[in-house]
This record gives sequence, C-alpha cells and structure tokens, in this order.
Amino acid sequence: MDQADEPQLIQRVREGDTGALGTLMGRYGDRVYRLAYGITRNEPDAEEVVQDVFLTLFRKIEGFEGRAALGSWIYRVTTNAALIKRRGKRAQVEVPIEDLLPQFLADGHRQGTLAWLMADWSQTPDKYLLAQENRDLLEQGLNNLPEHYRAVLVLRDVEGLSNEAAAEALGESVPTVKSRLHRARMALRELLSKDLFWPEVARA
Amino acid sequence: MVTCKDVIMDLLFDYLDQTLSGELAAELEAHLKICAPCRAYLATYQKTRDLAAAASRPPMPEEMKARLREFLLKKLAEGRS
Repeated sequence: MDQADEPQLIQRVREGDTGALGTLMGRYGDRVYRLAYGITRNEPDAEEVVQDVFLTLFRKIEGFEGRAALGSWIYRVTTNAALIKRRGKRAQVEVPIEDLLPQFLADGHRQGTLAWLMADWSQTPDKYLLAQENRDLLEQGLNNLPEHYRAVLVLRDVEGLSNEAAAEALGESVPTVKSRLHRARMALRELLSKDLFWPEVARA
Repeated sequence: MVTCKDVIMDLLFDYLDQTLSGELAAELEAHLKICAPCRAYLATYQKTRDLAAAASRPPMPEEMKARLREFLLKKLAEGRS
C-alpha cells in the first residue's frame, strides 16, 4: 500500500476528483466499516460512523498530515466515533465484566462442576461452530460484552492490531489494553461455553 | 507453585503474547502438564479468540458504498460552494 500519496489524494477529493475518492474508499472503507460495526453492533449505526469518519477525513486533513500514518489516524477516529454512537444508544444496563469472568475457590482452583471445568470444545469443527444458529449466539456473546472491552477485542483480535496500535486507537495505555483484552476474551469464552456449546454442562 | 487462578488471571495472556519471562512460562507449562482443567481453559480461550475473528463482518455492502460515495460528494460540493 502506497501511503505517501495520501495527502495528495485527499486534496484531490476535496477538489471534486471522484477517482481519488474511489481510491481512498477502496483503501479504507472496509476497515472502517468492520471496526464501526464491530463496536456498534448494528448496521445503521455503523453506516453513520463510516460517513462521519470519511467526512472528518476530508475536512480535517491538516489535523494529521505529517504526524501519523493515515491508517492509525483512521482507527482512532473510527473507534471514537463508534464508542460515542454506542454511548448515545445504550438501551439496557450492561452486565459488569466481573460477572462474566471465571470464578475461583479460595485455594485458587477454578469453580464449577468437573464437567464444566473439563469442557473443551476447541476441537469442535468450525463448520459446526460457525453454522448460522451458533453464529447468532456468537454474535450475541459479542453484543453482551461491555463496549470498551468489545472495542479492544475488535481492534486486536479481529483487525490484528498490536497492543501499542490498539492503545493509540483507544487513547489508553498499553497495560490497560492488555488487561481489557484478556478480560474480554475470558468473558466471551465464558459466554460461549455456557450458551453455545455446553448448555447441559452449565446447567449441571 | 502457581495456582489455576494465577495461570488464568495473571500468566495466560502474556504467555500467549510471548512476553512472559522464561521462568514464569516454565512454571505455567509445568502446571498445564498436571492440570487438565487449565489445559481445557487454554484451548477454549485460544479458540474463542479465533472465533471472534471469524465473526468479523464481511466487506462493506455495495449499496452502502454507493450511498457513502453520494453522501461525500454532496457534502464536499456543499463545502466548496
């Protein structure tokens, strides 16, 4: 990807060059959309975020020119816009992340029945795990994570950013990103274990 | 001796991130050898990470791209006038 041409591209878009607009949308559109959807978890909101981000991109070129790569600037603006969008629409009270983490006994052993502790669904074929019905439950699990945790998960595990780049996008420290990501994965693992793959075990 | 809680809450993340010190990594691995529940935990934790990535959205739908393009051209035209 040639990033050196980006200030010129944006300038050309502002002058009405639709070809340049197509180039920039092709380069960043999917990434912005994936991240926006990953955080807001609904399509209309994601679309508004995408519009806001591109508009900001064209209006505030001076704000990042020469200081940071366009890619990381876009991650930051998108993450912010999506979190703000989500904040305005949060309908129900979120489950605190602590309630979704594994529980331990005083001696340091994990709490639960033997079947629950030993449940290992990691070898289940993806064909089954990602079939529509289970996929819906996976989506639901992601929906149930508090948004700041979900945002870290999307940046790191979906977009594949480093801890440092995710921290920059979120305006948080690297230790905060690591701690949130770990909690987000643990919470999602707990939800998946309970709701998706081993409901009979969780009930036992 | 590290406990299951130490492994899961404090060591696992850095272990997978390959930033855990050699000494602690060895302690974690020794624990895994004798603890089936922690092995199951590690495997499902890694699988959770993979599934989250697999649940990622497909590329932006074509209709949305068209609407975005139209929206931006309109806004940019307004900005210039």
